[in-house]
Amino acid sequence: MAPLITLQGIAKSFTAARIPALEDISFDVAPGEFVSLVGPSGCGKTTLLRLINGLITPDQGEILVGGKPPAPSSRLAMVFQSARLLPWRTVAGNIEFVLALKGMPRAAAAERARAILGAVGLRDYAGAWPHELSGGMQQRVGLARALAVEPEVLLMDEPFAALDAMTRETLRLGLMQMWSDRKMAVVFVTHDIDEAILLSQRVVLLRPRPGRIDSIVTVDLPEPRWQNDPRGLPAFGTLRRELWDRIHDMAREGAALEELAGVFGGSGTKGA
Amino acid sequence: MRSKTSPDNAAAPRAGARLHQSDVSWITAAQVLIIILIITGMQVLNMTSGRLVMPAPADIWRQSIAMWGDGSIPLALGQTLGVLLLGFVTAAVSGVLAGIVLGGIPVLGRVFDPFVNALNATPSAAFIPLIIVWFGLYTEAKVALVWNAAFFPILISTASGVANANRDLIEMGQSFGADRRRLFWQVMVPDALPAILSGLRIGAAIAIVGTVIAELTMAQSGLGGLMITAGNRFQMDRYFAVVIVMMALGTALTAGLRWVERRFGQWRIAQAGGR
Repeated sequence: MAPLITLQGIAKSFTAARIPALEDISFDVAPGEFVSLVGPSGCGKTTLLRLINGLITPDQGEILVGGKPPAPSSRLAMVFQSARLLPWRTVAGNIEFVLALKGMPRAAAAERARAILGAVGLRDYAGAWPHELSGGMQQRVGLARALAVEPEVLLMDEPFAALDAMTRETLRLGLMQMWSDRKMAVVFVTHDIDEAILLSQRVVLLRPRPGRIDSIVTVDLPEPRWQNDPRGLPAFGTLRRELWDRIHDMAREGAALEELAGVFGGSGTKGA
Repeated sequence: MRSKTSPDNAAAPRAGARLHQSDVSWITAAQVLIIILIITGMQVLNMTSGRLVMPAPADIWRQSIAMWGDGSIPLALGQTLGVLLLGFVTAAVSGVLAGIVLGGIPVLGRVFDPFVNALNATPSAAFIPLIIVWFGLYTEAKVALVWNAAFFPILISTASGVANANRDLIEMGQSFGADRRRLFWQVMVPDALPAILSGLRIGAAIAIVGTVIAELTMAQSGLGGLMITAGNRFQMDRYFAVVIVMMALGTALTAGLRWVERRFGQWRIAQAGGR
């Protein structure tokens, strides 16, 4: 299948710090594929997402989304770590906001907003204000807002990192279901290895300073995963070990060990 | 656990909403007591030091009724309100527009910053001679003085609200393809609304000061004129009757704007309380 997103030799540095943030990043994302970007902080995961979104442009290399340089548009939709809802608009109003940016007429946008809120289980909250919702519900609105524009690519920047474990699990399940229904491509940034394996078909492991691709691991687990949780399978454990071995190698090879220990310390012991 | 809430009962925590009902009645009782103490104190001062130092509260009450009845206070109040509202509305419209421009175009904001600050820091009384030369002594000049006093605080507050609009929300808008115009009017300006409204409230308070100064220093008129006439004749009971009206006017205006601020900025107050 022809790739939907192509990154070819991407480099990006920030002039303020004069530190290269990303170096020689190349990978593809197929239509409908779920790819996770995993790596410690400082490896430029978020920068990579912003590049794919077209919010910033690379210093070197080429990014193509659907054969064209990316521009913020309805082909792409971003879900952020915090929901980033407009607090002066209602839940439905927030979704209508992005639909209006797409040029959808008011009545159609209102209808679509209600439908999509139903799909994420928030039909009754259409008229509520964002601050009246819990963090998990706000994040579901953020997801609904992204889904409302029917993107070909969903870009997710650690969307569940700020939530408690139970809410995170519920939302992961919802995302897996949504993805198997709609089959849009997903580029999912996380620093939780288990989450990356659980959700994605391929895991792109990045190493920090400057951000480079360490390895790309294919996750071959039975689908649909929201129906049969793969976390108990031996294959899951094998993948986990493989990725952790890579990370430990990374540390031995001189990447800052403290940094990795700080970021990965929490997730290293659970779910084994 | 959160329960479902509709926007109608959104019940944003108000300033006093966290107080218990018993606390509220206790506070009201204390406030009534303070008023009684003030009136008693005035009465005592009147009896010990004479009615020049302090008029008897009963005389102030009588004068108030007389001055409302003979039309002198309503007439003065009308003149004062006319100058105040004209000056404040022109300052609000021009200040908010200029603030949006200076806040939204950072280069312009930087260029004008020292001039805005210098003019804002100059006491508005300093402009009185110039305003008199330019506009004369009557309504136009008074409105100009009020505008001059209220314009800069409104401009500064608006500009900083727009310039400091939430970066995360701006990026969200950009990532969904909002163009600059829509980012500006649908994200940055609404995000600045609480700052704009508090600028308007500060501007209104300053506009009242400006109005009274104008009425005292230019052609005497309105409540300021009535007050200074009474004061110059040592008619302290009349003087107090006017001061009470000024006090009520200022309180009503700021309370009204605070109410508007709370209504429009409700989400923000609630948000601050919830996080």
